[in-house]
Amino acid sequence: MAHQAHAYHMVDPSPWPLTGAVSALLMTSGLAIWMHFHSTTLMSLGLVLLLLTMYQWWRDIIREGTFQGHHTPPVQKGLRYGMILFITSEVFFFLGFFWAFYHSSLAPTPELGGCWPPTGITTLNPFEVPLLNTAVLLASGVTVTWAHHSIMEGQRKQALQSLTLTILLGFYFTALQAMEYYEAPFTIADGVYGSTFFVATGFHGLHVIIGSTFLTVCLLRQMLHHFTSEHHFGFEAAAWYWHFVDVVWLFLYISIYWWGS
Amino acid sequence: MYYKFSGFTQKLTGAAPTAAYNPQGLKLSLPAESPTMIFATPTKLVSEAGSTVEYLGTNKVPDLQKFFQTSDGVPVHLKRGYPDRLLYRTTMALTVGGVVYCLVALYIAAQPKKK
Repeated sequence: MAHQAHAYHMVDPSPWPLTGAVSALLMTSGLAIWMHFHSTTLMSLGLVLLLLTMYQWWRDIIREGTFQGHHTPPVQKGLRYGMILFITSEVFFFLGFFWAFYHSSLAPTPELGGCWPPTGITTLNPFEVPLLNTAVLLASGVTVTWAHHSIMEGQRKQALQSLTLTILLGFYFTALQAMEYYEAPFTIADGVYGSTFFVATGFHGLHVIIGSTFLTVCLLRQMLHHFTSEHHFGFEAAAWYWHFVDVVWLFLYISIYWWGS
Repeated sequence: MYYKFSGFTQKLTGAAPTAAYNPQGLKLSLPAESPTMIFATPTKLVSEAGSTVEYLGTNKVPDLQKFFQTSDGVPVHLKRGYPDRLLYRTTMALTVGGVVYCLVALYIAAQPKKK
């Protein structure tokens, strides 16, 4: 490594932006090919390439940050801004679904019977499984904070235990949602109620799965001693993301499950 | 909280009990030296705390740092040697092959249907 007189990270040339872009090309073209010729080969190839790119790109970021020491304070500041902007974009992503929901429910059209929930729709009871889900996610927010304080105080055993507990609560939430979907008395094809309900809660569920994966990576990295009490931004980003998912659920619960029923 | 008058800012600022501002001219009889520190738990030597430090695997990070910081001009995505090269070449082969396959598939899809 050449000597440099500044604290910024000069990255090595990387093939991953190219392979990632090609995987996007293959997945989108593959989708069109699937629709026209009933072959999923190209789309699956794109998905495999995407997974390979994700694995190797993030592996290299761990190498650069944890093993090569490129994540200096100014670099970490950039990572923080990046994560904040990413989560902000996610907020606006969900805002669109809430807009669709309130647009449809605040002034229900005559076709819906002029009421919300629409005529003929039997909704889920918000005080059964959805309330349990709210409690599970709030509890996971507590355990992830416990994990953060354990890491900051160098309590390795507690950090591993609390992080495991957070991930288990995440998977418990996903399992409960899967059961709730299976038992739901309406489908995504049941008009605007079904559409707004399954698109909003479905994308939330996807984000819970992504957040659980992110936290699982943090658990593995904690096992491998990657996090120190002062430097653990990977974990902090996962915790921010997890809190974001938690807050989105609270809005979903209050709007769609409770007020909307 | 004790205060003293700061000659620099012309305002009251925080102060130690001995230096505190006493408008009545009375100095409280306070100990001049700070109290001795009391540790809550008996201090442990590193060797005694061995089991917790090594909980779930030993720390290999220092070795990996030494390994990944060697300046041999190899880019970070190939630095581990053979397994990295294998994965990289597989990914690049799929990338190039995928682009060719994709272009052929799109070319065929763009042809008009023969009836």
